[in-house]
Amino acid sequence: MVETLQNLHLGFSIALTPSVLLYAFAGCVIGTLVGMLPGVGPLAGISLLLPATFGLNATTAIVLLAGIYYGAMYGGSTTSILMRIPGEAASVMTCIDGYEMTKKGRAGPALAIAAVGSYIAGTLSVVGLMFLAPPLASFALRFGPPEYSALLILGLLVLAYMSSGSMPKALVMAALGLLLGMIGIDTMTGFFRFHYGLVELGDGIGVVPVAVGLFGISEILLTAGQPVPPAVHKPRLRELLPSRQEWRDSAAPIGRGTILGFLIGIIPGSAHIISSFVSYALERRLSKRPERFGHGAVEGVAGPESANNSATSGAFVPMLALGVPSGPIPAVMMAAMMVHGISPGPLLIKQQPELFWGFIASMYVGNVVLLILNLPLVGLFVNLLRIPYPFLYPAILAFCVLGVYAVNQSVVDIWIMTAMGALGYLLRKFDFETAPIVLGLVLAPMLEMSFRQSLAMSSGSYAIFFNRPIAATMLFVAVALMLLSLRPLISRGKDWRRSVGLEEKRALREENP
Amino acid sequence: MFTSDRIAGSALVLLAVVTAWETRRLPLGTLHNPGPAYMPLLLALILGSLGLVVALRGGGSPALGALRWPEAGHAVAILAGCAFAALTLERLGYRLTVFVVLAFLLGFVERKRPAVVAAVALGLSFSSYFLFSNLLRVPLPRGPWGL
Amino acid sequence: MTIRLLIALVTLLGPGMVQAQETYPTRPITVVVPFPPGGIADLTARPLAPALERVLKQPVVVANKAGAAGAVGMQSVAIAKPDGYTLLIGLVSISIIPEVDALFARTPAYTRDQFVGIARLNADPPILVVGVETPWKSVKELVDDLKKRPGEVTYSSSGVYGASHVPMEMFLHAAGGLRMRHLPTTGGAPAMTAVLGGHAAMWASPPAVASPHLKAGKIRALATWGATRLAAFPDVPTMKELGHDVEYYLWAGLFAPKGVPTSVVKALRDATRQAVQDPEFRNAMEKVHTPIAHLGGDEFSAWWERDAQKLAGVIKRIGRIESK
Repeated sequence: MVETLQNLHLGFSIALTPSVLLYAFAGCVIGTLVGMLPGVGPLAGISLLLPATFGLNATTAIVLLAGIYYGAMYGGSTTSILMRIPGEAASVMTCIDGYEMTKKGRAGPALAIAAVGSYIAGTLSVVGLMFLAPPLASFALRFGPPEYSALLILGLLVLAYMSSGSMPKALVMAALGLLLGMIGIDTMTGFFRFHYGLVELGDGIGVVPVAVGLFGISEILLTAGQPVPPAVHKPRLRELLPSRQEWRDSAAPIGRGTILGFLIGIIPGSAHIISSFVSYALERRLSKRPERFGHGAVEGVAGPESANNSATSGAFVPMLALGVPSGPIPAVMMAAMMVHGISPGPLLIKQQPELFWGFIASMYVGNVVLLILNLPLVGLFVNLLRIPYPFLYPAILAFCVLGVYAVNQSVVDIWIMTAMGALGYLLRKFDFETAPIVLGLVLAPMLEMSFRQSLAMSSGSYAIFFNRPIAATMLFVAVALMLLSLRPLISRGKDWRRSVGLEEKRALREENP
Repeated sequence: MFTSDRIAGSALVLLAVVTAWETRRLPLGTLHNPGPAYMPLLLALILGSLGLVVALRGGGSPALGALRWPEAGHAVAILAGCAFAALTLERLGYRLTVFVVLAFLLGFVERKRPAVVAAVALGLSFSSYFLFSNLLRVPLPRGPWGL
Repeated sequence: MTIRLLIALVTLLGPGMVQAQETYPTRPITVVVPFPPGGIADLTARPLAPALERVLKQPVVVANKAGAAGAVGMQSVAIAKPDGYTLLIGLVSISIIPEVDALFARTPAYTRDQFVGIARLNADPPILVVGVETPWKSVKELVDDLKKRPGEVTYSSSGVYGASHVPMEMFLHAAGGLRMRHLPTTGGAPAMTAVLGGHAAMWASPPAVASPHLKAGKIRALATWGATRLAAFPDVPTMKELGHDVEYYLWAGLFAPKGVPTSVVKALRDATRQAVQDPEFRNAMEKVHTPIAHLGGDEFSAWWERDAQKLAGVIKRIGRIESK
């Protein structure tokens, strides 16, 4: 403990020199700019700017990259809240209530809560990273394909709590998303499914063009042609900050989101994407007034944003403690560290404590700098909404094209975005929710692969799901939750009538906004 | 009769049938060794049955004729802009493509004054290229004349 | 801006074309990496780009164009304008993908003869690594055990027909047609995680990925697929020493689309020869434990041809993975 604090002091003494702070600041600015492009998140930001750091010394370079990383993470949530454009799959849930808040003139508070939530989640998860990395990492390794399958099945159940409309309609959308996730080369056999001659579909349909299309483009399509253009909100200074009530409502979701995200994040693989979905569902389930969700509930921004941020920090646990990157973002961060002569892994903490603690300290610093940078920027960002919509939406469209193209340098992705925009427009006209499609698309390939990997390990025996304690426990929980959620379906009746009434009201409101 | 949920549900059932038919070319495998067609077929069946539920329960939803489409004209124009961008981005380069798309949307769809249209389209396409390509080194396509 | 426009206009005119070739390059060069950031192709391309820039005096931009295990990016370069301004960093899989397409009777995404090899940049044999909890201390013990329990031990790989599936298949065939369970994953990191977590017993790992875990004692190395022992691991025997006649390398090379003028190919080969001497590039590659193993010009083309022939045979032997 004392040793840890001494080491941390050492780390901070490096990270807090003026020149290093300047780089942290520069990193946050660049990261925020890059992150505002839909689709271009921390992944692309770090790899694009990696060569620029070759000339710097290791600590400065890592501080700069940590700044870019945090900036890009935060930049994504800005566009989600202001324009309903998710920068990545994880911001989809932020779009829903964040953008509703914007429509009600509460964009400032939504951005501020997102910034503060990200800051708290980022800082707390770095503390977790610091103290718990080695023991948690060895636990995380026990997550093999059977455990993964069980976790993803649990993740699917989240759907039950995700939608505010009718249950069959939410489920059918999830099935559609799962089916879309089947496109591409089958990992287990190499068969190419549903490609229709397009090599670009080999890795499946990208989540970014689907999310940008279903959320961002469909919103433009629905709004641009309204006979009465949407009102321009002139934000007043008083309205930039969250009210006392909003702070109170957000506190618990931020805390829960942080813990939840961290736990999901440490599991090797790409499970961290589902953390924001799970957090949203959890907050909706725990809320005393769940009907507010989907119409601008501040909890629906606070929870998922915190969960998302702490999940990506949690994903650094296996990387730092074991040297195995889980998911693409830690992989790029690890590559960046290796280029600067730091090889993460079991020996790093023992042999090069100054580098490990330098990294931890730079993550703290990155977080703080970002908060200092972004709270004043909230006012600037909100003023973007003063631009009249006929000028705003063509610009948004151009940035969507730019961002979606830049992820993979692929024109096919622009086509997917266009098609998904049209689909999202039609679905929303017919009163379907589009978030379950994204969740399905994210889950399907992971679920299918881990399920079939498990069977490959056991040579076809299903006993593998029940012999292993972690997998068996999670499956048991999943079955119990399923039975619980079936209960209201059996004793329907009054409830059903009310839900129909609710739908009709919603449909009316959609027509005359 | 033709309520919105019934139409949407039926469309989804149709999609499920088509998908299930498409999986016939891939090996199905067995329960203990599922092949590449196993999960898609299973999901198509689930999609089909859920679509059926939506269609059957959809009697109370608004009639198809009650849906209003005041924004459809704009929507088609905007989608055409996206399609144009997809077609020309790698041929005309980023700056020309974005300039044309912006000019089309601002000038033709939104009927802004030509001078304003030219200024905004030109400024936005070149400044965003400068920011992302030159400063942040995001690789963006160039077209003829190095534009 | 006007100056650039003038230059472009001049270039478009007839005589300008000839001049452009003589002074190649006159504008930025794009190096396509057909994989996502963070992998070895990306880690080779990123430091190579500034090194090439210093030689060619023109910006060299790296573009990740990932998808379909690299087929998307490779196809895009195969059909790119052969003017020397679009290049490719290819890995060993550049030889494998057309064979897999042929196996499934698909229209091939590209064929090997659509590329001209500029240079090989590095080549490392994979290491057969096993988890610490497994009983085997040598390849001989492993082979004896696998003979006793056919189809019961699992190995992981970075993907079916991938760069670490192929060497395992070569080894199992050479050791007398041994049978194992195969756990394909989506990359090197998950394949290594499966071995570290005990979900698979072994895999054919690139030295760069295995190195930190070997040093920490989390895995054991049994053998490598090289012709000679690895400089970084002089204690690990080669498969050939142990009597299994297999040789296999994970390599990265720089390619241009076929049809690039010979003068440009020569300029690129010379530039790469200089770039691999660049201390910053060498340093960066040392740090990711993938030392430069440059092989230039026609020597590389001949070597690539031999390597590809060998791999084609292995893919045909694996055949389609139907439900067996």
